[in-house]
Amino acid sequence: MRVFVRLVFVILLFAATAEAQYLNPKLLEKKVTIHSAALLPAKVEIVKESAKGSEMMVAESADISSSVMDAVGHTLQQKKINVVANQFEPASMDDSRKYQLADIQTRYDALLPKLVDKSKDVKKARFTLGDEVMLLNVHKDADVLVFIRGQGRMFTKGKTAFSIINIFDLDFPFATITVGIVDARSGEVLAFTKPMSASKVLKDKKALNKMIEKSLKKLPTTAAP
Amino acid sequence: MPRVATTPKPSTFEPVEDEKFAFGKVDLDLLSEIKLLDERFEKEGAVFHETNLDAYLNRVGMAVVADRKLENVEWKFRALRDPVPNAFALPNGSIYINTGLLALLDDENQLAAVIAHEITHVSERHTYERNRTLRKIMLTMNIINTIGNWNPIGGPAGLAISLIASVSPFMLAISVLGYSKDQEKEADLEGLKYATAAGFVADGMPNSFKAMQRDVEGEQMNSFYSDHPKLQERVTYTSSSISADARKLTEEEAKTAKNDYLAVMEIADRHDVELAINEGRFRSAVFVSQKLVSLHPDSSENVFYLAESYRTLGPRNAELTDQQRTSGAKKKAAKTRSKRTLEEQDAELLKTPEGQEAWKANSDKSETLFLRALELNRFNSSAHRGLGMLYERLNRKQDAAGEYAKYLELAPNAIDTERVRRRLAVLRESMN
Repeated sequence: MRVFVRLVFVILLFAATAEAQYLNPKLLEKKVTIHSAALLPAKVEIVKESAKGSEMMVAESADISSSVMDAVGHTLQQKKINVVANQFEPASMDDSRKYQLADIQTRYDALLPKLVDKSKDVKKARFTLGDEVMLLNVHKDADVLVFIRGQGRMFTKGKTAFSIINIFDLDFPFATITVGIVDARSGEVLAFTKPMSASKVLKDKKALNKMIEKSLKKLPTTAAP
Repeated sequence: MPRVATTPKPSTFEPVEDEKFAFGKVDLDLLSEIKLLDERFEKEGAVFHETNLDAYLNRVGMAVVADRKLENVEWKFRALRDPVPNAFALPNGSIYINTGLLALLDDENQLAAVIAHEITHVSERHTYERNRTLRKIMLTMNIINTIGNWNPIGGPAGLAISLIASVSPFMLAISVLGYSKDQEKEADLEGLKYATAAGFVADGMPNSFKAMQRDVEGEQMNSFYSDHPKLQERVTYTSSSISADARKLTEEEAKTAKNDYLAVMEIADRHDVELAINEGRFRSAVFVSQKLVSLHPDSSENVFYLAESYRTLGPRNAELTDQQRTSGAKKKAAKTRSKRTLEEQDAELLKTPEGQEAWKANSDKSETLFLRALELNRFNSSAHRGLGMLYERLNRKQDAAGEYAKYLELAPNAIDTERVRRRLAVLRESMN
């Protein structure tokens, strides 16, 4: 019986993309409307897991971060939200601009564990990054800042074999992505979503787009101005 | 640039040729990932650059390195924008010292000791060795786990296999961490040799640990295991390995060394105060800005940083009490930090008489210091902004609006003018 329950759990977790999305009441009550968004550089970290442990995948992580950013941008555009041009290309930033961006990203990273643990509290408008977000000076062009984070595990053939043999250890490759949408002036968290899927989605752009679209399904579509 | 406290003597240290370590594919794969990671730190604005500081770190670092040449190592010494007191080495020779640690240390000898410790990790190829060991252990764990899961043997032998399988990951993890502790001790003791051979005062090593023992934020806890030996243990074994006739600084020399180091670090320390405030490490911000004011009491900028630190400290006490330093209190505080946002922590503290008392004392101190900063330089626009934020929190709306207006007048092109304008607009609206 125990084995059966675990098996059902595994199937439920990995056969379908799990998703969860939380909206601030200001969005639902239309006190805030999102017309434009600025995407901050995504941080999606993936590791390669072999039978001998984990290995970093720095270059691949950068590529996947970029793909996830594209997927989020694409989804927002489908919702008639204008995605402003990337203002955070490392080559175009001087040290002080890089520091401002890093500091805002750090503020978000500090809040992220609480956002993940108590995502439902986004509905109570509990979370904010403070008006320090205005130091990025993107509020003239964008209503919101979009923070993207993620983690993924890629398995080698050896590790895959071990995970199949030990199927009930629930040790599988997975990808979790979180998207936080933050008011560009007040810093208030307006929306948060945390889709989870099997990590193959990171290599398949179509599947990735689909996963992000589903995860932002509840985000209101902006009426044409 | 200020005079350096202790000019290193020419190195008499014999360089160790790295003959015993041969790079394998696994090591080279790790190295290529590490190089990419190193580049990423720069791209993402994690590295703090300031011309004098960069030159200083390089000078101290290269003095310790001496003429040690190692395959696949290019020595670089950089400050990492992180207010947590820490330092680390990448196996490609990139050594990072957090601004939080730079601010905590007292002199160049302590800095050299920290750098020497990290250089030893690189020289002794600790990262590669640890990686190799971990890979072997992980493979063993996977095999034992598999045997445990599909154990076909019944009776006592089967029970024994199952037991080993369930206990082994834990035992193996402990053995990995224990091995690392040995490496850390080796880095301390070898690092001490490197630093003294380069002409730095040997006491720098135990003194650097003593500096780290300050635990300004109350984060050091006695966990079941940790990758570094306990700080007091490190003070003891490094002190006992220093010969009795080793050079020591006189009181006067120590004072000069401290001031010279602080002068070199002034800009990095100011930056660290900003980082500490951004990350909610308010006690660290007060600690570092107090150092800045002790160096240049008449610097309007340094006084501003201390004022800003007290303002953001809010309802907290500037220094931990004995009760707050107990293990139980630290654990409770860590739990609160993980569950509550900073705003919620402030609100909870303000409900207590201690919190209210601390807020009253800190806001008074902050106001006095902001006014002092303006006395020293009436064009210090940041002090007006800080006062505005303080008055806004004290609900002195009229005063807050006045200070914000002065800020905008003095710094019309500052990066945060829009933010201050918005605050001013909200204030004015609420006053009407």
